[in-house]
This record gives sequence, C-alpha cells and structure tokens, in this order.
Amino acid sequence: MPVLAILVVLPLVGAVVVALLPKRRSELVYPIALAMSIPPLAVALYILWNFTAGYGGFQFTEEVVLAETFGIAWRMGIDGISLFMVVLTALLFPISIAASWSVTDRVKPYMVLILILETGVLGVFLALDLLVFFAFFEIVLIPMYLLISMWGSDNRAYASLKFVLFTATGSAFLLASIISLGIITGGQMGALASFDFRDMLEIQLSYGTELALFLGFGIAFAIKVPLFPFHTWLPDAHTEAPTAGSVILAGVLLKMGTYGLLRFNLTLFPEASVNLAVPLAVLGVIGIVYGAAAAIVQPDIKRLIAYSSVSHMGFIVLGIFAFTSQSLTGSVLLMISHGLTTGALFLLVGMIYERTHTRQISDYGGLAKVMPVYAGMFLFAAFASIGLPGLSGFIGEFTILIGSYLTLPVLTIIASSGVILAAIYLLWAYERVFTGPVTNSKLEGLKDLGFREIAIMAPLVILVIAIGIYPKPIFDRIEPSTAIILDRIEASTGFDLPERGLLSGVVEIEYDVELTEAGDN
Amino acid sequence: MQNMALLPVAFEVILVTGAMLVLLVAVIADKPRKMWAPIAGVAFLASVVAGVFQWRAVAETGGGLFFSTPGLVIVRSPMVVMDGLSAFAAIVLGLVGFVAFVGSWDLVTVLGKRSAEFVALSLLAVAGLHMMTATPNLIVIFIGLETASICFYVLAGFIRGSKQSDESALKYFLLGSLSSAMFLYGIALVFGATGSLTIYGANSIRDFFSLTLITEPGILLAGLALMLAGLFFKVSAAPFHQWAPDVYQGAPSGAVALMAAGVKVAGFAVLARIFVGGFISQIDTWAPVMAVIAALSMVLGTTMALVQTDLKRLLAYSGVAHSGYLLATLVAGIDGVPPMWFYVSTYAFMIIGAFTVVSVVNGPTSSGAPIASFKGLAKRSPAMGWLLAIIMFGMSGMPFFAGFVGKVLAFVVAGEAGYLWLVVIGTLATVIGLAFYLRVVATIFSSEGDEEKLEPSRSSRFVVAICAAITVLFGIVPWPLLDVVREALPL
Repeated sequence: MPVLAILVVLPLVGAVVVALLPKRRSELVYPIALAMSIPPLAVALYILWNFTAGYGGFQFTEEVVLAETFGIAWRMGIDGISLFMVVLTALLFPISIAASWSVTDRVKPYMVLILILETGVLGVFLALDLLVFFAFFEIVLIPMYLLISMWGSDNRAYASLKFVLFTATGSAFLLASIISLGIITGGQMGALASFDFRDMLEIQLSYGTELALFLGFGIAFAIKVPLFPFHTWLPDAHTEAPTAGSVILAGVLLKMGTYGLLRFNLTLFPEASVNLAVPLAVLGVIGIVYGAAAAIVQPDIKRLIAYSSVSHMGFIVLGIFAFTSQSLTGSVLLMISHGLTTGALFLLVGMIYERTHTRQISDYGGLAKVMPVYAGMFLFAAFASIGLPGLSGFIGEFTILIGSYLTLPVLTIIASSGVILAAIYLLWAYERVFTGPVTNSKLEGLKDLGFREIAIMAPLVILVIAIGIYPKPIFDRIEPSTAIILDRIEASTGFDLPERGLLSGVVEIEYDVELTEAGDN
Repeated sequence: MQNMALLPVAFEVILVTGAMLVLLVAVIADKPRKMWAPIAGVAFLASVVAGVFQWRAVAETGGGLFFSTPGLVIVRSPMVVMDGLSAFAAIVLGLVGFVAFVGSWDLVTVLGKRSAEFVALSLLAVAGLHMMTATPNLIVIFIGLETASICFYVLAGFIRGSKQSDESALKYFLLGSLSSAMFLYGIALVFGATGSLTIYGANSIRDFFSLTLITEPGILLAGLALMLAGLFFKVSAAPFHQWAPDVYQGAPSGAVALMAAGVKVAGFAVLARIFVGGFISQIDTWAPVMAVIAALSMVLGTTMALVQTDLKRLLAYSGVAHSGYLLATLVAGIDGVPPMWFYVSTYAFMIIGAFTVVSVVNGPTSSGAPIASFKGLAKRSPAMGWLLAIIMFGMSGMPFFAGFVGKVLAFVVAGEAGYLWLVVIGTLATVIGLAFYLRVVATIFSSEGDEEKLEPSRSSRFVVAICAAITVLFGIVPWPLLDVVREALPL
C-alpha cells in the first residue's frame, strides 16, 4: 500500500472536501477542517509505529515513473530524519487548525489553504525525487503567502511579499542546481536526466561542480532556515502572520531548510560540506548570539519569539556542520523540540492577542494575577524553549553542544552563551508581562484559558515532557540515519570522525539503493 | 492521387469556408447573429477535428509532403506538409480560436452590425496562422504570416472612434510590416545562398546542407539573421517587443486574447519548423543567438513588467518573458520541440483566460486595464478573482500549475544543450516574475476596492474556467500532454 502517497494526498482531499461545503453552512467549516486534519496524523502515527528502529535507510519506499525521458518519478521514502518531521507536521497542523476557531473572515479559503499547505510540507519531507521535492518546496509558498497577506495583521502586504521573494530567490538557485545535478546524474546513468536521490548518491562529481551545487542548494536552505544574514524576512513574516501561520511557519517550514541541509547538502556534497563547515557553523553561531541579543530588545512579543527562532535554528545549523553523531542527532531532535516549544509559544501569544489585540510587552503587566493558568503554561513553554533539563529543548541543545565540542570547541563555547541569553530574553519578557501588579486596566477581568485552549496546548506539553525525560526511542530512530551521512562523509573525504563522535552500538549501514519495503530487514 | 488529398489542407478549408459563410449569412439573414454564431463555433470545432484526423493520419503513415506541382525546379517543391508539428498546431490553434471566440463574445455583442466581420477576420487569422506551420515552402510561410497579420491589424483597430485602438492598430501595422519585410528579405537571401525555397523535398535546404559545404556563408547568415529578426518581432521577443505593450493595451481585449495566444503558438511552431526542421545543421550558428535573445527577453520582460500599472501592459511584458523561456527550449534543437509545445499550448490558454478576465472587469472595448481596478476582485466576483489568481500562479511558474512544468522542461533541455547560464538567468527571472504576478494576486484579494458585484457573462465564465482548469490540470498531471507532444515534431 502506498502509505506515503496516501499521507501526502489526505490533506488535499480534506481541502477539497472543505472547499465543497455549501456556502450557507459556514459553521461546518471549522469542525470539518479539523476532522480532515486527523487522518494524516493517524497515518503518520501508523508509519511511526511500523518504522523499523535501528535501520538507517529509507523505508516505506514507493516509486511510480512519471516522465521517463526526463527521469522524473514519484519517489517517496522515509528515514529517521524525515520520520519525525512528518510526525511533527501531522501533529502541528490539527493543532493550528484547532487554534483557528476564532477566524470568521473568509474561513473556508483559510482552512483550504492550511490543508493544501500540509500536503506541501509533507511532500517536502517525503520526496526522494529532487524535482518532486522542489515542486513541494516551492508550492508551500502560495498558501503561506495567501495566509499572511489575507489574514495577517497591519503590515501584511510587505511581510508576505518579502517572505515570498526571499524564499523564491533561494529556490531559483535550488532549481538551477537540481536541474544541473539531474542532468549530470542522467549523463552518468546513461539517460537524458535523472532526479532520483538514490541515483545521485552513486555519481562522481568534480570538486568545482560539487562546490557550485553545494552553494546552489545551500543558499536556498540557508534562506529557509534562516541562517544569518538571510534571516530578515523571518521576524516580519512571523509577526504579521495569523497564529496558525506563525505556528506552522516556525514549527515546520523552517525545518524544511535544516532538513534540506542534512538530506541534500551533507549527503550529496560531502567534500564541499567538510570544506565549508567552519564558515557555515560560524554563521550558525552568529545567528545564535545575534538572534538572542535581538530578541532581548524586542518590544513586540511575537517578534521576540521570532528572533528566538533565529537563535535556535543557529544551534541546529551548528550541530549539522559539526559532523559528529551526537551533534547531527541532536540537531534533528532540536528540530522536533523547537517545533513543539515555539509552536506552543506562538499559540499562547495568539490566545492572549485575541483577548487584548496587542502584542506590545509594555501593554501588559501582572497578567499572572488575572490569568494564572495561562501564566503557568507560558512559563512552561518558556522553560522548554530555554532548555531546562527534563524538557525537550535541553536534550536537543545539550546533545548538540556535546557533539559540536568535539570538532568545533571554540564555536561551541560561544554558542553555549545562547542558552543563557535565551533565559534572559524569555524570563525578562515573562517578568514584564506576568509579574507585579496589574498595570493596564484593560487586563482586568480577562478570562483565563478555557477547556478548548488547554486541550490545544496539552499534546505539546505532554510531548515536551516525554521527550525531555525519555528521548531514547527517538534517538534510536534518528541515529542510524545520521550515521549513514557521517559514513559517507568519512568515506569520501579526509574528514575523520573523533573517536567519541559516534554513539555506541551503531553498525555501519549504507543507503539501500534497492527498493526496500518496511519491515523486511 | 495523394497530391490531391484534402486532409492536409482541411483545417484551412474549413476555417475559410466558415468565414465566407459567416459573411454571407450576416448579409442575408434576418437575425444574423443567431445564425452565424453557431457557424463560427462549429467551424472552429470542426477545424480541431480536422487536426485530430491529421494527427491520426500522421501517426499511421508518418505524414508527408503534398501539392507538389510539376514544372520549374524551384516551383516544383511541395506546398503543404502534414507532420506531427502541423497536426498538433492545428489542434492547438483550433482550440485557441474556439476558446478565444467564446471569450470575445462580450465584445461581439457590443459591436453590433460589424460583429460578423470581426468573427470572419478571426477565422481567417487562425487559418493563416496554421498555414504558416503546415508548409515547407518559405514563401507560403510568408503568405500565411501576412494573412494572419493583416487580419490582426484590422482586429487591433476594430473599435472605431477609439484613439487608443486606432493608435495601436497603426503601430502594429507599421512595425508589423517592417518585420514582415525583414522576414521576406531573409527568405530572399537564404534563397540566394542555398538556391532553394523549400525546407523538405527535392532540392530542399536540408539536402543542400548535406551535400554542400558553404565556406563563405555571409549571405546565408544575413538571411538567417533577418528571418530570425522577423519572427522574433512576431513573437515579441526582446529587443523586438516594443510594439507589444501599446498594442495589447490599446486593442480590445477580445481581439488581443486571440492575437497574443495564436501568434505565440504559430510563431514558435514556425521557428521550430524553419530552424529545427530546416537549419538544424547550422544549429551552432543560430542557437547562441537564440539563447542571447532568450536571456534578454526573460530579463527585460520581467523587469519591465515589474513597473507596470496596467494589467494589459503587464501581460504584454510578461509575454516577452514567456517568449524568452520558449526560445530557451529551442536552443536544444529537436529535443526542445516537445517542451516548446507543452509550454506554448498551456501558455496560450492562460493568456486567453487572463484577457477574458480583463474584458469582464474593464469592459470588452476598453483600452487599458489599470491594476487598481482589480482591487478586491475576489469579493466582487469570487469566481473571476480565484480563477485569475490561478492563472497568475500558472504564469509565474509555481509548481502544480502548468507554467512550472513548462519552465522546468525548458530549463532541463537548455541545460542539457549546454546553456547552463541561460538556466540560471531563467530561474532568477522567474523569481522577479513572481514579484509582479503576486502583486496582481494581492490586489485581487485586497480588502479595498469597489463593493459593487460583478456579474460576468456565461461565456466569459466558461472561458476563464476552462483556461484555469487547463492551467491546474496540466500542472498536476502533465504526463498525457507530454506523451502527445513527444510526437509533435517537424519531419
């Protein structure tokens, strides 16, 4: 059964169903859209359940040739890296839809766009054909653009266009690189072109070509991450987007960038990756410190969280380019954790914004007295984001730092300051918003979180704690896939993995170029 | 016997007959429009059927050359060719003609008594366009080109008393005749260099190149350059594009839709016929020129489109950019012809759809369509707003819309042919293009603007829906069309 194809198509089916709802029954849109986002989650959990841990190659693979002459095919597969991105996506979309109950303006197109967006994001994480990957990577822009420009706040036109133009510029280089790589691959495979990821692992590239392609892929993903200095679109887009848009943007869209770096740059261009690792890690570290420093001074709470994303994504990039098993695995884990914690923070900001219609920190004060449950929830999310031991953020950042120290000790020491800075900007913001006497009369009498809001937050809270306490099942599934990337890097370059840079108990495995069905190994 | 076969010229015969009938009925019937409108519609559809029959005949027999006349060596050449290229051109042009005809119905109804002439000219124009693509003889290509062009000169100036319409017609006529003259001069020089007027058959240009080695190809090169310039002008590739924005803006939308779509389809089919079919051995000479013109068109078209405030002018400049992408396919020679077909046949319907929306919003006879007038279109008419947005996404080359498939295929074949720099320029131009297409989309969904509801006529609803459906359908499942265009090659 083509599980992955079903998973990708399900949200689209949902979008069609929602679009076909009769005009007069607009009250049906919200529950049906929410219901339509559940089946993808169920399929994602089915995949998670049946995923073979300890095996690093692609599972559930499927292939249907689409255009033989051009070497394009519907190639899908899932490994330890994409597995959790898929599950995270499938989880965050129902939550974002659930959190959009107060959208009343043009609610039908809103839900349709969110569901289309889900199809796009799932496709990005599952595609093993680079053109199909690119198609999904690029299509994500349209629903996101429309979500920001139609339902965003005041400065939405500017923010949405900036978002699209930044990402699309990266995509232009990505498309040119994918096409030339496809042509080179096809040439070595005796065809016009081939866009099969697994074919691309087999070919020989001259160093110049490899470097050019690395940069072409790299710039697209660096903008998406976003890596300093390409980050300027992010605070605008996050701030202007509606709540669901911010959650999805921070939760999964940014991960498309780091996922791309891991899946394509590191795997396809090991030589260039090793040579450019230090400059890229430096950019990551600049992002950590700069993002955190900028977050401290933001007067707008949504902007603050947006800059904190820049900082956290810097950790992930540092981990990716440190090339140790711990750092790569930690990066994937932090991708999951950042999706959960930042998603939670954006949801919480959305909940208070609906009550007060302001995001300025200075408009708040003493909110904890009025809304104690909300304050507790916010403090929890803030701690998770800072990386308090026992919560998921800690596991991710700590493993990255341990792993990176082995290869990039100086940068790692600087990067660890990001953890302190995170405590400063989040706790200081908490202090100004929640503690002390109630300063603004408008805050009096605000309703605390209701059942629906707590129910929306609950899955995130539970997962943050669960990962924080017992991350082993996740590590067991990520580790083999990152080990393959490291093996490729070691085999094809002069890079030597430090002795302690490999987690124990991992056997050397290579990508199966042959198609493998889940569970037959 | 085969020489007298009617199938190879069925397309032209049907459309010209249709045009004559329309004119006759308009003169003698009581309620003429009710009588001739079905005739015109049936003529267009019948021409598509003729195209399908040609396609099947080509698939069975491989096509061939027709209407060779005994006599002088020069004149003995065949006058008509039926192959994958001409048959597919017939299908596309027939459909383009039909859809554009339905889309211009709003215009036809306001034209009153002169409407029959309008429709007859449209029929003749499409016949001329196909004639260009279905002949191996350079002179016949020229005759087809002129037939179509003269019809379009008249159509562009069809709104009497409108200064802009007159101006656009005159501009189109003057610059158009200049380009026709260049094309003709090019034919003359090529004839001088090769001693042949025909691309295929006995004593053909292709034979000439396989038998002769030209050591001083000066005259041939000049001829090729002039022919290229003439055709670049027709398809509005930069720097031969200056007429397009003025003509597109001034002429009535219903006429522009047919002109923009039809000329692009036939123009690129002819470029493929002459250069890929005839001068393929000289590809190293003309392909670099085409690549440079392609790059120039992409860059100039997109950057100029950025600053437009009028949707018709914007579409004209974006058409320049699309010519660039289309030229990028042809630099790959025969491998580029299927992508060219995919691109141009989907683009044709997008542009018809876009101009039909323009005609709904700004009125069928208006010269000019300020982008500001599209503010809040999604509210005034949700169908028109969303469909125009889809068409804009399609043109911008977003994935899962037909424009994306066309562009990617163009880039793949151009890259394969060694023009990687063209691919990079093309992808970057696509991004700049996104900026102005999205500006239109943002305007459509803007919350400001007129509150007054728009009630588009049934015909324009139909046309825009069809065009948007084509944009989406061939974006998601391009494979059937890709399989077909693989066979749409010149002999």
